[in-house]
Amino acid sequence: MTIVHMKDIVKRYGNQLVLDYVDLDMVEGEILGLLGPNGAGKTTLIHALIGLIKIDAGDIQVFGTSHKGNSLDIKRQLGLVTQDISIYEDLTARENLEFFGGIYGLKGQVLKERVAETLSFVGLSEYANKLPAKFSGGMLRRLNIACALVHRPKLLIMDEPTVGIDPQSRNHILETVRELNRQGTTILYTTHYMEEVQSIASRVVIMDQGHVIAEGTIRELVERIQHEEKISLEVAEVSGELISRLKKLNGIKQVIQKGNELQIISQVGAGNLDRVLAIAREAGGVRSINAEKPTLEDVFLTLTGKRLRDGEAE
Amino acid sequence: MTVFSFVFKRFFKGVANIAFISIIPLAAIFLPLGEWHPLPGGFQYYGIIQLFLAARLSGIILEDRSNKTLLRIGAAPISHFQYLFQNTLAYSLIMLMINLLFVLGGVLVHGEVLINPGILLVLYTFFGMLAISFSLAWFSLFDNKEAAFSVLTGLAMLMAMLGGMMWPIQAMPLLLQRTALLLPTYWLAEAILRLAGGATISQLIMPIAMMLLFSIGFIFLGSRKRLF
Repeated sequence: MTIVHMKDIVKRYGNQLVLDYVDLDMVEGEILGLLGPNGAGKTTLIHALIGLIKIDAGDIQVFGTSHKGNSLDIKRQLGLVTQDISIYEDLTARENLEFFGGIYGLKGQVLKERVAETLSFVGLSEYANKLPAKFSGGMLRRLNIACALVHRPKLLIMDEPTVGIDPQSRNHILETVRELNRQGTTILYTTHYMEEVQSIASRVVIMDQGHVIAEGTIRELVERIQHEEKISLEVAEVSGELISRLKKLNGIKQVIQKGNELQIISQVGAGNLDRVLAIAREAGGVRSINAEKPTLEDVFLTLTGKRLRDGEAE
Repeated sequence: MTVFSFVFKRFFKGVANIAFISIIPLAAIFLPLGEWHPLPGGFQYYGIIQLFLAARLSGIILEDRSNKTLLRIGAAPISHFQYLFQNTLAYSLIMLMINLLFVLGGVLVHGEVLINPGILLVLYTFFGMLAISFSLAWFSLFDNKEAAFSVLTGLAMLMAMLGGMMWPIQAMPLLLQRTALLLPTYWLAEAILRLAGGATISQLIMPIAMMLLFSIGFIFLGSRKRLF
C-alpha cells in the first residue's frame, strides 16, 4: 500500500530550482534510502513531505490525505529525526521526551509509559534523569532519535541520523532502525554513508540537482548501471598459456597481470567465475580468488559523477 | 498546552533567571525616593527591569531557533500560531506574577508613598505585555541569541533614557522631547507621573491605549517571520 505519493513537486528559492518536478512514492513497511550529493534537494524534499515548506507546484499525499489543509492531521503520523541534534540541553532526557510527546498530544499515564518505553528502546533508561550535556555523541544521537519516536509515528523520516558518531553507536542506531521497521514503521532514511543504505534499505532513490535520477532495489540499480565484474585471482604460477586461455573465455574483456595476481574483467552474467577457477587449477593451483560485485557506491558515482561523501551533509 | 507548561520548566531551571527575578526586583523595591520623581526609585526604573525580564523570557523562542528544536516543533502537529500563543501566554503570566510580587513588596516597604498600587499594577501589566511583544519583534530579526541580547541591552537603556524613565523629559532638547512620544517607554513614564499626580484610570486611557497599540504593532512584526 502506497503511503506517500509525491507528484510533480516543484520548489524554487528565488531563481534557483531546488526540486524540479520530483516524483516519489513510498510503500508501507519499507525502508527507503534517499541518496544524493550536496545540493541534490534531499532535505528540501523531506521538508516538503513534512509540510515545513510550501511547494510551488505538485501534490503531496500522505496516508491517502493531501497535505493541502490537512497538515496537522498528517504530522501526527510522522516522526522527524533531524540532521542536527535538536534537543533541549536544559531538560533531562526524560523531560525532552515528555515535551516532544506532549506536542504530539500524548499526556498523563500514556505519555509516561511511552517515554519509559522509548528510553528503554534506545538504551537510555539509565540516563533518563541526566542532562544531555553529560551524554556522549552516540547517546545524543539516540536521544535525538528517541524524541522522534515517542509518539510512535507510522512514517519515520531520518535525515542523516548517524553523522559524527563512532561505529559502535552507528551499529546500535542501525539495529534500532531495523527493529523499528520490523515493528511496522515505514522509514525514509537519508545518509552520506553508502554502507548504511546497503545494510538497511529495501529500496533506494538517488537524487541529483533536484531530480530523481534513479530508483529501485540495490540489486536493480546495480544491474541497471554496471555491466562488468572484476575477478581477482592469485595463482601459483602465471604463464602465457594461462592468460591466453582466460582471454578466450566468452565475456572476458580484459586480463591484467601483476606478479602472481591476475585481474580479470568479465561481463556481468557471463558466469565466468567457475570457468576461470577451473582453468587456473589446471595451470598449477589457486592461492586465492575474489569476485568483486559492483557496489551502490559505483552506481552513485556512475549516475552523478560524484562520490557521496565528497562534501558534508546537504 | 505542552509548550506553555515547558516555558515555566525551562525558565525556572535557569539559575541566572531565578537570580534575575529574585534579586533585581527585590533590590529595586528598597530603592528610596529620588530627587525629581514622586515614586520610590525602583518604581521609576521598573520598566527597564521589565524590558530585560521580557528579553530573558522571549529568549526561549530564540533558543528554540538556534538549537534547531524549532524544526522538530515545526514537524509536529502544532501550528505557528499555537506555538507563539502558548509561549507569549506563559511569558505574560510569569511577568504578571513578578509585577504582582513587586507591587505587593512596594506596598509593604513604602506604604502610602506608593500612590494607588492597584492602578500601578495595571500600568506595569500593560507595559509588561509591550516589553514581551517588543522582545519578540526584536528577536525575530536575529538567529543568534548573543548578538540579539547584546544589542537589545543597549537599545533598552537608550529607550529608557530618551523615554523619560531616568530623568524628566523636560530636561531634554525639544526635538528629543518630541521624539520621545514615539518610544513605548515614554508612555509608561508618562502614565506613572500622571498617576502620582492623582490621575484616575480614565485619565490614563491615552497612555494605556498607546502601550496597547505598541504591543499590537510589535506582536504583528514579531509574528510575521515564520518560525517554521
